[in-house]
Parts: sequence; structure tokens; C-alpha cells
Amino acid sequence: MKFLKMPVACVFLFLSTFGYSQSDSDYKANTIPLQLKIKANAVVRFDKQIVEVNDFDDMYVTTTRIVTVFNEYGNRHQNAYEGYDNNTKIKKMEARIYNESGKEIKKFKLRDFSDESAVSGGTLYSDSRVKYLSYTPVKYPYTIEYVSEVQMKSTAFVPQWHPIDDYYVSVENSEYKIINNSDIKIRTKSENFDAYNIEVISDTHVKAKNLNGIKYEAYNPGISNIIPSLKPALSTFNMEGVKGENNNWEDFGKWMYNKLITGTDAIPQSAIDEVKALTANTTDNLEKAKQIYQYMQDKTRYISVQVGIGGWKPMDATDVDKLGYSDCKGLTNYTKALLEAVGVPSYYTVVWGDDDIKSIDSEFSVTEGNHVILCVPNNEENVFLECTSQTNPFGFTAGFTDDRDVLLVTPEGGKIVHTKVYNADDSQQITTANVSLTATGDISAQVEVKTTGYQYNLHERVVNKSLRDQKLSYKEYWDNINNLEIALIDINNNKEDVVLTESVDLKASNYASKSGSRLILMPNMFNRVTNIPPRYEKRNLDFKLQRAYKDVDKFIINLPEGVAVEAMGEGEKIESNFGSYEYKIEQLNDNKIKYTRTYIMNKGNYNKEDYNAFRDFKKHIVKLDKTKIVLKVN
Amino acid sequence: MNTKPHNLSKMKKLLTFTALLALVTFAKAQDFKFGKVSKEELQEKVHPMDSSANAAVLSKKERIYFVLTDYDGFMQHREVTERIKIYNKEGYDWATKKIFLYQGSSGAKKEKVSNLKGYTYNLEGTKVAKTKLKKDGMFEEDYNDFTQINTITMPNIQDGCVIEYTYKIVSPFLVIDDVALQYNVPINKINVKITTPQFYRYNKFNNTKASYFPRVKESREKRTLPTRRGSFLGTSATENTSAYNNTNNSYFEDILTIVDTNVPALKEEAYAGSMGNYISKMSFELSAILNEFGAPQKSFSSTWEQVSKSIYKRPSFGDQIKRTNFFDDDIASIAAGIDNPFQKAALLSNYVKTKVKWNGYYGVSAYKGTKDAYKEGEGNVADINLLLIAMLKSQGVNANPVLVSTKNNGVPLYPTRKGFNYVICMVENQGQYVLIDATDKFSSLNVLPERVLNWKGRLIKDDGSSNWVSLMPSQQSQESTSLNIKLEEDLSISGKVRQMITSNLALRYKKRYMGLSKDDQVKSIEEDKGAIEVANLKLENKDNNALAISYDYELTDAIDDIGGKLYFSPLLFMAEKESPFKLDERKYPIDFSIPFKDKYKVNIMLPQGYKVETLPQSEVMEFKGGEIKFSFVVKENGNFIQLSSEFDLKSAYIDSADYSVFKEFYGKIVEKQAEQIVLSKI
Repeated sequence: MKFLKMPVACVFLFLSTFGYSQSDSDYKANTIPLQLKIKANAVVRFDKQIVEVNDFDDMYVTTTRIVTVFNEYGNRHQNAYEGYDNNTKIKKMEARIYNESGKEIKKFKLRDFSDESAVSGGTLYSDSRVKYLSYTPVKYPYTIEYVSEVQMKSTAFVPQWHPIDDYYVSVENSEYKIINNSDIKIRTKSENFDAYNIEVISDTHVKAKNLNGIKYEAYNPGISNIIPSLKPALSTFNMEGVKGENNNWEDFGKWMYNKLITGTDAIPQSAIDEVKALTANTTDNLEKAKQIYQYMQDKTRYISVQVGIGGWKPMDATDVDKLGYSDCKGLTNYTKALLEAVGVPSYYTVVWGDDDIKSIDSEFSVTEGNHVILCVPNNEENVFLECTSQTNPFGFTAGFTDDRDVLLVTPEGGKIVHTKVYNADDSQQITTANVSLTATGDISAQVEVKTTGYQYNLHERVVNKSLRDQKLSYKEYWDNINNLEIALIDINNNKEDVVLTESVDLKASNYASKSGSRLILMPNMFNRVTNIPPRYEKRNLDFKLQRAYKDVDKFIINLPEGVAVEAMGEGEKIESNFGSYEYKIEQLNDNKIKYTRTYIMNKGNYNKEDYNAFRDFKKHIVKLDKTKIVLKVN
Repeated sequence: MNTKPHNLSKMKKLLTFTALLALVTFAKAQDFKFGKVSKEELQEKVHPMDSSANAAVLSKKERIYFVLTDYDGFMQHREVTERIKIYNKEGYDWATKKIFLYQGSSGAKKEKVSNLKGYTYNLEGTKVAKTKLKKDGMFEEDYNDFTQINTITMPNIQDGCVIEYTYKIVSPFLVIDDVALQYNVPINKINVKITTPQFYRYNKFNNTKASYFPRVKESREKRTLPTRRGSFLGTSATENTSAYNNTNNSYFEDILTIVDTNVPALKEEAYAGSMGNYISKMSFELSAILNEFGAPQKSFSSTWEQVSKSIYKRPSFGDQIKRTNFFDDDIASIAAGIDNPFQKAALLSNYVKTKVKWNGYYGVSAYKGTKDAYKEGEGNVADINLLLIAMLKSQGVNANPVLVSTKNNGVPLYPTRKGFNYVICMVENQGQYVLIDATDKFSSLNVLPERVLNWKGRLIKDDGSSNWVSLMPSQQSQESTSLNIKLEEDLSISGKVRQMITSNLALRYKKRYMGLSKDDQVKSIEEDKGAIEVANLKLENKDNNALAISYDYELTDAIDDIGGKLYFSPLLFMAEKESPFKLDERKYPIDFSIPFKDKYKVNIMLPQGYKVETLPQSEVMEFKGGEIKFSFVVKENGNFIQLSSEFDLKSAYIDSADYSVFKEFYGKIVEKQAEQIVLSKI
């Protein structure tokens, strides 16, 4: 069973529904073509979804879905659930279970479905609910037939067609059709049809036959970029009582501006006076924005409260000012109002917020996105503000909203722009260390790790931990060092330049392992790559490296009296399409060794044929990172 | 989540008084006056005793007392007032509070919240600014049929602020929820008072596994009932009737008071199991309802013997193992011709596993009943295991239920029906016995799922008598690995791994691997083993729940050639790379769940033209007089190097007092396994 689980930001109500057919053989597990059983935990035998559009505020969705489930992992593909709220009425929900030979063994009526609040972990309150089937299979395979009819007043989210909606599920038959009983124009956009067996009957009527399951592979480019889909949008729509126009992003943005934002952005005079006084010492817009961002961060906190207008209308800025909390929409809108008070223009911005990079579709306007940020225009380069964080540096987006197309909501209408791209030089990790070794193999060291950009985002989490947990974090971070003891931690979080500097004094006994009269020392102590990408007999999917980054390491190792180098490598350099790597070991004098290492990963999309080369590149790095120096103890 | 057993809702009915006033008052002696926060509290930047605290409870006050009402009899009141300091943004979660309310099974009786008030205090300049919690910060939500959640979120939260809220839960139920005396942040001042009228006798327990114990004071006070109508009746329509004496209108109250300062925070420790087992708390067991003369009118569970008996008497328990007619025909042939009761048990438990699937719910009571579960092919733990017991009994096997408290249910503080939440099956024959849980498809005789391996079990016989049985596996699980290593000229390694895994370790491996496709099994084996390629992987079920795993491997990154000498560690990818025990000190034990033994036999064939220059030294180590043993013995034998190593853990628990010694011991094992073999050219 799937819940409407949403990321930390906003929750928009989605009604996920699927397809229709009827043939006796669909209930029998043994009639499935062999090809479809490979790489599949479940097969969608027949899936038919009819979307009847009767008016801009009246839509009726009929779903019939027959799924044969082979094992417990396949249960999640039942998709026997409906979300609902005040504007969504479930008219019918029914499920029947058939055994392997197609005999009906169980039946569920509407009242037999479980009913729960659709609150996900991070949400404080939500008025949306979910009805779902809770069925414990007795035996696999079994077949489930699920039928539902749902009446919706909101037409902002027309069910989309995703015949394959996940890994390890294949599809025998799937059909999707929109019946337009109104004079509203319906636009559609299809994606990834070419690689699949799809019959296009019209723009709003499609069928698919015998789609094979897709196996999950690491570094995949995101399932939504692989699977076929059809997205529809109504030119006139209703979002919980608010009527809107959507022929393009300009329209849609204009509607959002006029109907969802305007009127919610008033703030009390006291707040206006306060931020005016706060920014009185500067005339520079960006400087003002910085001060106000800090003001907002100090004053508010993030809380997810999903009520009203499908979770799309921001809370009144006055209330945010008074209560000091809101969700992403409310906090963004509030910050926008504060900026407006001091004459700095800014735009409410809709985005897909996630560590995985996902863009708003620039070519097709449809209600989408799961998060809202604020754009402050600044000459050539837009500055984007994450308003849900109390600690985020000004204009910092790496890791959640960087490098993607987003929708700006301006008074003139919607505009698609791209957020900041963090290049390898923007996302650096520079580790320096001064290490002292003893004749018994113990080490003590002063280490400094400086991070910027995406790597700042990864390291910043340690800042607010308690000392006990910081110590644990470093023990995990340097888990290649056994018996690690952390003596001193000093962290400097320079938010102005977005540089994190972690200084750690540490020691570890027996770091260098003894072998007779020798000590074997791995000079790369503080930044070792250990993970080799998984091996695939035959790679099926292209792959993607989402972000570029750069690591630079410089460790000075001081040897004690009576210990001398017996053997060591000099270094090695690797160049590839995926990045570059180089390490060097130099003996500075009798008791000083210098280890340096530079590792750059490029971002990019690559063909599946290159996967083994990528794996070899990483494998080689893992091996070189284990380079050893042999020391002789006299 | 806070749910209560349904059957106790009825108890409230047992006493119905008429015409009385609220009786209970509580002293208002407190240092913390609600609505008044000092500047010092707001100015504090870090907690004076625990600088790691993101928030601290400055004051926690809780009052539980019973109020007599005209129509509903005694109602339980629970007043909670907390003042919390929030130091930084990591502590902001403390500004949101969820109150769980039990809604009863029928919905007719439910808990309600009242008198909810709250303030946030901030320092603005030198002034204390106060923001009130309003309706827009309060949310009510029907979470499911049994639970309503009332959530409050405080306004205007800033670093350094102090929040304060107070509320009262009025409950028609007699069950007193556990009173938490510790949080994961420090509590500066705690003041708890629980007052129970003489008519309800509660046994009181504190958690002996906690590392903090509060000071508890018990006292008794006399109360007078203002008898407006001259008399009151201790009667109810359905329960015992006893006339009250007109003149005897006084009664006493039992008072339990906990007043303490500086309660340390409960801090998470890895490998300790559920931290809920270690929180300091008070639990209350309703042991009897008394009449006005002090004689028990109705008694409740007070010994494990009685608890077991009362569970046995339930139709959803005892009756289930007596009913056999619905499956008689189906099973007649299964164990036909077999005399050994343990063999019969094996066959019938397999039959139950194929017929009835576990729906994921625990319970000591059959939910559907064995008959319906059998018919529908689905049931909870009790449905399934009681069905198995009924089947075995019908075949003349001496099978009986064993009540269990699962790991996440913890170890009960006192004899209570809530103390058991699971039931398994025991078969006895000629002084020997086996334990069976038919809810898990990979479990087998005496190999129980880990959720069951907690505390001890209570065996109930047909006559309702009961006694304890140990649930800990009588056999130590074993993982025996043979690793063959052949060094190639190009410095790669090839070889073969053969493993034999038994008992609970086998169960663990089966759960991990058996659901996966061949591809994913290989990937899972290859994970974290470096530049390895695995081929010819075989997983085979053996007798007695053992699992045999074998595969060929090739490894390209294990050997270093430095200055013409070869360096590698003999356990290769089998070596433990790091010690998981990273905390400097622990307050709570380490729980390995099961005792086990890891054995390795490594056979290394030397490459042509090389000889051994150095070998790791052989070593044997013991922890705590042999509770854990580790040996590592390396030998050169002609063209071969042989290593045999063993890690022998006899007890699954490591006491926190022994932690630092154990940590060092374990660190040495990791070090030993990393030691290198050096080969040089001949």
C-alpha cells in the first residue's frame, strides 16, 4: 500500500488512479506471457481509466485495475487506494481477490476499506484522508480486481497516465481515455512513448500492450524520465472553488498570482516599520534582502499544515507574522511581503524540491511541484531563498532546489527559469591534516575539513548536533580508522561566504598495522572512497551523475625517530569522462611524508554502455585510496 | 501511541455513586507559577548541567486524581503542566505537543481534553513578551477508530524562548497510563502526584532497568464525603451490589508523590534495543476494586499465575485450542503413521504456515478465531499459533500455548495482561520440549523469530496452571566459513567460499536472501566486499533450519605490491572492517539478540616464486572469564598458509558496566583481522 507521502515541503493533493479491462483470462495467473513475468513482482493485467470532464468543476474518474501479484514485494502495485477530501467524493470502491486459477476468493466493498488521515510523518495536520485496501494475501500468485469511481470538483489535478508506475512491475494491457463532455480545451503531452509499445488513438486516448518490467539500477536517471506517460491539463480548471485558466505557464502563473497570492500578502504596519528600520542603513537591494532573510529566519519556524485549496494557497502573511510559523508557502509569501515593504521585488517560485534533481516541465503547463521558494531578481543572476530553514545561508540552494527549472509567479504571469548550478569548483571539500605517527603505529592528528556548495550541505548537518553526537559523527565519517578518539572539535560556519570549516584533533591507537618489524600505513586516512558501484551482468538503463564536486587532500605525516620508509608508491593519475583523480606521495625529509590527492567528479548523463567504464574508474580509485606505505622500525 | 485495552473500559461501571461533589483538591505549592516566567529563564543560553541539550523541561507537573460525578461515577483526571526552555532550532520540535486520546471501543466512552492553555515567552530587549496559544494553534484529528490526536503548536518560537502549556484529560477509564519521569532532554524540576481513592487499589512500579530513579513518597489521607442525600450507594445495575452505611461517609486516598530535581536526559545508544525499555517511569496496575469496608469487590490480575489463568479463560484463547471439528478431515492424513510428536509438530506447523498467513498483528487473543482464520487463510499471531496447538492436540501431541512479551513490548514491570502480547506453541515429550511459532515462514522448531526472543515465556497447561519457560535459544547459532584463496600472477585473487549457518543466524540470512532474485542475491553478497565478482552462488536449505551458502569469487583489489613484496590480510572481504561500538561510555547494555559463534577456516595457496616473510601472530583472547572468546591461529604449511579463527559469544547481553573493557576487546579483534601477511620473492 502506498500512502500520499510527500517530501518535507508542501503536500499537494494527488489522486492517483489507474486503468480497465475484462476478459476471463485476466483473473488467471497462469495465462501471463512469460516475457512479462521477468523482472516483475506483479503484472498489471488490465488497467483502464476513464476521465470524464463534464465541466471546469466536475470530473468523474472511473478506474478498473486487475493486477496479478507474484510475491510480497508485488503487493504495493495493487494501487487500491483513493485519497479524498471535501471536494473529492468516492462514489464506489470495490475489490475482488482471485486465486491462481481465477476463482474468486474474497470480496471487499466500500465499507471494508480502511480509512485514515493522510497525514505523513512530518505533517502536523492535514484535512485530506485516504481509503485503502488492507488485505493479507494467503497465497501467491493471486489476482486483484479493483474498481473505483470518484467524483471530483477540483480539476487542477487530472489523473495522469503512467502505465508503468514503478520498478519490477510489467503491464499486459493499459488504457487511458479522457471523455470531454464540456467545451473546455484539453491539452496533453506525451513522454517516452517511442521506446514502448503504445497505440495512440487520439491526444486523449492511448493504449499500451505488453510493457516489460524495469529493473532498478543504481545511478539511474530517475524513473519518471524512463517510463511512458501522458499528462493532461484543462484550459479552464477549478482548484477547490477557485476558477483558473491554464493554456501556458504565463496563464497559470497569472492565475496563481491573482487568485492564490494576492490578498494573502498584507502584513501589519508594525512589521513594516520594523523591517524598514532594520534595513535603513543600506540602499542595496541584495543587502536588504539578506537582512530580511535573517529576520525571517530568526522569527519563524517551519511547520506543515495542509489545509485549503489543495495545499496550494499560502497562509495569510499577517497570521505568519503573528504565529511565527507556517509551511513553505506561508513562509515564502511572508518573506515576499517583508521584502515588498522595503521596496525589494521578489517572486513566489514553485519547484520540485528534492535531493534528486527534477524540473518543472518548461514545455507543458500543468499543476505540478511539491515546494515553494522565493526568487529575488538580481541583475543577471537570480537569488533563491529557502524560507523553511532557520539556518540555511542566504541564497544557498545546493542539495534541494539547485540546478533545475522552476516556475516564477510574477504579476505579469508565470515564467520558467533555471536555478543555480553548482560546478565542481563551487562544491569543494579541502581536507588538510598534520599527522604524527608513533613507533607502535598510533597516530595523532590535527585535521581541517573545509567545504563549500553541495559538500557544505552534506557537512553542515554536524553543526547543530550535541558534542556527544558530533563525536559519533566523526567516528562514523572516519570509520576507516579503528579506535578513533576525538579530542577537540571546533566548527566555524561562515554563512556569509558559505564555507564550513571543521577542525578536529584526534588520535587512534594502532592505526598502522604491525607486521614483524614493519609498520604498514595507509596515508589516505581522512578521505577514502570505499564504495564501488554495483556490478550488473548487463546494464539496461542509462545513468546519471547528478552533481559535480571536487575533493582536495593534503596530509603531512611525521615519522618518529627510528622509523624509516622501506617502500612506497610515488603516485598515479587517472583521467576519464567521469572525472579525474590523482595522488602523490613525496618524502620531504627523513621523517616527513607528504600525501596529496585531487579527485574531481563531473556531472552528466551517460549511456548504459559506459557504465562499466564508470565502475572501473571508481574501482580504481577505491584501490588507490588503499595505497600503503611500508615503514621499517629499527 | 496511547491505546488502552478495550476490556478495561467496562471497569469504570463497577462503581456508580450518586449525588456527590468533586472531592479532590491539590496543593498549589509550586515554585513555577503558570503565566509567570523570569528573565533569567529567558536569558539562559545553555543548560547548566547538560550543554548538549537543545531544550530542557524547566518544570514538569502532573496530577492524577479521581473525581466523583453524579452520573458517571469516578472519573480520572490528569492535569499536565510543562514549562520548556528551547535553546536552539534543534529544540523546536518541543514546541509541538501531541495529546493522544483513547476513544473507547464503542465510542460511547471517550477521553476528553479541557483547560488547554499555553504561552510562549520571548525576551524583547529587557522586557518579557508573552504570546498566547490560540485556537489556530490547536488541531483535532480523528486518527483512527480508537484514537483522537489533539495537537498543539506554540506560536512565536525563537531561540531561547520558554513555552508553557497546561491541559487536563478527563477519562472515564480506570487504567492509569504510565507516567514518564524522564525525557530525551533534561528535566530540571519534576513534581508528580497521583491520588487514588481507596475503592481502587493500584500496585505501583518503577522501571528497574532505568539508570535514573526518582525519589518516591507514599502517604495516605482521610477524606470525607459530604453526603447531601444522606446516603450513597455502591451499586451498579450489572455488578455487585452492596449497601453503604449511612454514617460511614469517610474514606482515604493513597497518595504517591515524586518531587525531584535534575533528571538527566535519556540518550539514545546504538545496539541497546528499544530505548523505551530504559526510560524512567511509574506504572500503575489496578489490582482490585474494593467496597466501602475495604474488602475486595472485584480483583484483577496480581500474579503471573492469575494473569495466565485469566487469559486462558477467555473464549478467544482457551476455547480456540479445544475446537477441532473444522479441520479434522483435512489433517488426518498429514501425520498419519508418524509416532514422534516432534515430527508431527514439524509437519503440522508447515501445514499451518501454508494454510494461514500472518496479517502482521500481535495478540494473545484470537482475532478472527481459529475457525475463521483457517477458513479465510489469514489471522493474527493467536489465530495461527492457537490453531496449531489445537491441531497438535487433536493428534494426541502434548502441545500447549506459551505467552510471550515481544521485544518491543519490553519486560513488564508487574503482572498484567498487557504484559503478554504474543503467544507461541510448545510441544513436550519425555522431558524434552520444542517451541514453535508458525507465523514466520522461515522459523522452525526451536528457532523463533527475533521479536519473540525477549524475557521469558509462560506455559499454560489444560487445567489453566502455568509456569515459566526460557525462550532463549538453547543452541548457539553458528556460522562456519571456509575460505579458499588462490593468488594469481596478476595480483588478483580467486577462490571459493563455503558457509554453513545454523539456527537463528540461518533464520536471519534466510529473511535477507530468500525473497531476492538470483541477481539481487549476488549483488547483496557482493555489497561492501570491494572489487569482487561472485559466481555460481548457491543457497541451500539444510536439515534443522540450517542454510548452506557457497560461491566462487574473484577479487582484484586485495593485494598490494609495494617494493616487490605482497601485502594482504588473510580474511580478505570477510574481515570486520570497523568496530560498531563507537560511544565512549554507555548507560545501557548491548543486546546481540542471540548467542552465536563465527568460525573461519582460511586456506591460502602461495603464488609461484614467493615465500612467506611475515605472518600475523596467533592470538587467543577472552572477555570476562570466557563469556566471549576470540582466537586467531595462523600456520605455514608447505605451499599453504592456514588460518583458523573463532569468535564465540555465549551470552547475548553485554552489561553496560563491562562496556569499556568490551569495546577495547572488540577493537583488538578488528585490529587483528586487519593484520597483514607479507610475501617476498624467493
